[in-house]
Amino acid sequence: MSYFTTIAGGLKSLVTGLGITARQMRRKPVTLTYPHVKPELSEAYRSLISLVQFEELETHDCIACMQCVKICPSFCIEIDGGRVEGIKRMRASKFEVDFALCSMCGLCIDVCPTDTLEYTKLYDEAGYEREWVYDLLDPFRDFEDEFVERQRVSDAREAAEKAAKRAAAAEAKAATEKEPEVDP
Amino acid sequence: MPRTFLDIFGNPLLALGAGIGGVMTVLSLNTLFCIWFERKVSAWIQRRMGPMEVGFHGTLQTVADMIKLLGKQLITPRGVDKPLYHLAPLMVFAPVVAAASLLPFSKTVVLTNINIGLVLIFMFGGFAVIGIFMAGWGSNNKYALLGAMRSIAQNISYEIPLILSALPIVLLISAKGPMYEIEGEMIAINGMNLAHITAVQADTGVWFVLLQPVAMLIFFIAILAETNRAPFDIPEAESELVAGFHTEYSGMRFGLFFFAEYSNMLIGSMLATVLFFGGWDGPILPGPVWFFLKAYLLIFAMMWIRWTFPRLRFDQLMTFCWGALIPLSIVNLLVTAFLIKVL
Repeated sequence: MSYFTTIAGGLKSLVTGLGITARQMRRKPVTLTYPHVKPELSEAYRSLISLVQFEELETHDCIACMQCVKICPSFCIEIDGGRVEGIKRMRASKFEVDFALCSMCGLCIDVCPTDTLEYTKLYDEAGYEREWVYDLLDPFRDFEDEFVERQRVSDAREAAEKAAKRAAAAEAKAATEKEPEVDP
Repeated sequence: MPRTFLDIFGNPLLALGAGIGGVMTVLSLNTLFCIWFERKVSAWIQRRMGPMEVGFHGTLQTVADMIKLLGKQLITPRGVDKPLYHLAPLMVFAPVVAAASLLPFSKTVVLTNINIGLVLIFMFGGFAVIGIFMAGWGSNNKYALLGAMRSIAQNISYEIPLILSALPIVLLISAKGPMYEIEGEMIAINGMNLAHITAVQADTGVWFVLLQPVAMLIFFIAILAETNRAPFDIPEAESELVAGFHTEYSGMRFGLFFFAEYSNMLIGSMLATVLFFGGWDGPILPGPVWFFLKAYLLIFAMMWIRWTFPRLRFDQLMTFCWGALIPLSIVNLLVTAFLIKVL
C-alpha cells in the first residue's frame, strides 16, 4: 500500500513544483536591460568622492584644512593649498585622490568642516592602467580666478564696512568719553 | 491513406533526396528555435528576459551562436581512439534523421509509410546509445566515460517502460480488426503503422490520451529520460561530469551532439503526439500545423519540467524506472489487454 501512496505523494509534489514555476512564468521579469536602461541608484550609494559646487560660491569650498587627509585610513588623499593673496579664505590648489586605494568609507565626507565633499553616483568606472588618481579640483579650475576676484571685492567691502563701523564706534566712544568734561 | 514521397516523385532517389532535404530543414530550424525557446522558457521561469540583443527578442541569437560554432577549431585531443572519436557524432546524429522521416505529419502526404514504423523509431532511438558510448569511450576522458556509462544504463532501462507504454496503443489499434474503414476506404490496419494510429484516432474522434492516461504519463517520462533531459540529465550532469560524454568535443562536432539532442526532443514529442494526441487531427487549422503545435506544446512541457525539477541521483533514477515505471506499465498493458478481450 505504501508503494502507491509514495507514488501518489511524489506525483502531487511534482505537480506542486510545476505550479510554482508556472506562477513565476506569468510574472514580469525583474531584469534591467543595462546599457539601454540606467539603474536607479539609492541616495546612500557610495562611490568615488567629489567636491560640491555651492550655489552661492559658484565653486567648491575646500579650505585645505587637511582634516580628510588626516582621517583617511587608506592615505589616498593629497592636498596642497594655503592663503591666496588678497582674500581671507584658505584655498586648496591640489586635491588628488588615489581611487585605487580608496575604499569609499566616507570618513572624509563626515569630517569635512565645510561639507564640500560628497559621493558621486559613478558606478561604471574602468581603466586600462593601475594608476587611478583624479584631481578633484580639475572641474573647478576655470572658476577659481573669478571666485578669488569676487572674494577679494567682497572681502574688501567687508573690511571697509568693518573699518567704517569701527570708526563710528570709536567716534561714539570718543563722544561718551568727552561728555563728562562738558557736563559740569 | 496518405501518399508517400515515393508516390509523389516516382523515382526512389528523388524521393530520398527530397525526404532528406525536408527532414534536415525541419530539424535544423527546430534546433535553432528550440535553443532560443529553451533559453526563453528558463528566463521566464527565473523572471529574467533571456536573449534580447540579436534580432527581435534575441531570435537570431542561435544563428549567431551557430556561426561562432562553425568558425571554431576542431580539436582532437591526444590519446583518443580516432575512428570511434570521429564517428561518434555521426552515429548519434544519423539515426535522428532516419527516425524523423518515419513520422506522419500530415493527413495527405508523408515521407514514408511503413507498417513497422513504431518498431523502427524505437530501433533508431536505441542506435543513439551506441554513438554516445563511442563518444565516451573514444574520448579517453574519465568524465566522458562516466557520462557515457550512465547514459547507457539509463537509456537501456528506460527503453522498457517506453515500449511497454506504447504497446497498449498497438493493442487498441489491432483490436479494431484486420480490416478497418477510414473515409470509405477499407484498409488492412496495422497497430505499428504510425499513419494508421493517427487515422484511427482522427476517425473515432477519441485521442488515446483519454483511454490511456497512465501510459501517456509513463511514455512522457520515459521520453524525458531517453533524450537525457533534466531531471534525468545525469549523463551530462554539468556540475559533476563537466559535460558528460561530449566533454572532449569542440566546434561543430559538439554542435552535432547538440543538434541530435534537440532533434531527439522533437522526435520524442512528435511520437507522443502521434500515439496519444491524435497527430494531425484537429479542427479548422491544416493537419501539419496541428501536428507541430502539439509537438511544440509537449516540448514546452519538457522545458518547463527541466527548469522546475532538480536532477535525480543515479540510484533514484534506477529505482524510479524498475520500481515504479516498469511495474506500472506492465499492469497497464495487462489491464488493457484484458479489457480489450472482455469488452
